[in-house]
Amino acid sequence: MYAWVWRHLPGPWPVRLFIFLVLVLAIVAALFFWVFPWVEDTFDINRVTVG
Amino acid sequence: MHRKARRGRRRAPKRSPFAVIAGGLGELMLTGGAIVLLFVVYTLWGTGIQTAAAQNDLRNQFELQLDEIDQETDEPESVYEGLELGDAYGILRIPRFGENWERIIVQGVEDEDLKNGPGHYLDSADPGELGNFSIAAHRSGHGEPFAKFPELHEGDIIEVETATGVYQYQLYDAPNGDPDGNRIEIQDTWVVNPVPGEPRSTEPDEALITLTTCWPRWGSSHRMYATGILINAEER
Repeated sequence: MYAWVWRHLPGPWPVRLFIFLVLVLAIVAALFFWVFPWVEDTFDINRVTVG
Repeated sequence: MHRKARRGRRRAPKRSPFAVIAGGLGELMLTGGAIVLLFVVYTLWGTGIQTAAAQNDLRNQFELQLDEIDQETDEPESVYEGLELGDAYGILRIPRFGENWERIIVQGVEDEDLKNGPGHYLDSADPGELGNFSIAAHRSGHGEPFAKFPELHEGDIIEVETATGVYQYQLYDAPNGDPDGNRIEIQDTWVVNPVPGEPRSTEPDEALITLTTCWPRWGSSHRMYATGILINAEER
């Protein structure tokens, strides 16, 4: 999977590394801003009220 | 020609289909593990960033409320009526959690409200009033306001400042240092009733405060609570 991505990135290795890191950062950001908040709300893992 | 061939894209070494599948599966599992770890980072630390920013905004909002009261002093109580879900409601101070520990309370206990700070149960009394002024807050993540909840002891002071004044309550029912102390079921709404333990319709004759949070700290299969009684009020 990662090797496949690496092979399909353009440019010499420093450019590839840069693009790769940007991709990883974008995915982590998407997880933090959208996926994790959704998981937290949907699965009721952090409730503090009675009723 | 020779040079071009050498610089061309490297091809993946030939592998058996089994090796390809096993390798792909391994990568997926490693990635899944990393995502789970990231989720832990999110709950422990990521959620707190948003809460800290929200608390700043709420503090400014509360100070604006106080300014307005100073200008048109007639009835500070009317401030409560104008509050929407998520608005700044007042300041909560709990010396047991730290000498200068304070958090801005928000109006309402919906998920969105509690992400920003301790929330006031909408249909519970206002501070100083007869009835049960009730607050819920997170114990893990979102700034974890009630992280040290089990350390609350009977006799501890809980101070609440709102547009109408400053109120001190003294706990008479608390976990007392027991991590499982005052553990209740999720459905145990009696703790936030106007008279705790009595039906909602019972007419209150005391001004109480009740705090609720989750149990266990890193989950929410149960709840924990603490209750106190008003001992001092300075109306504005």
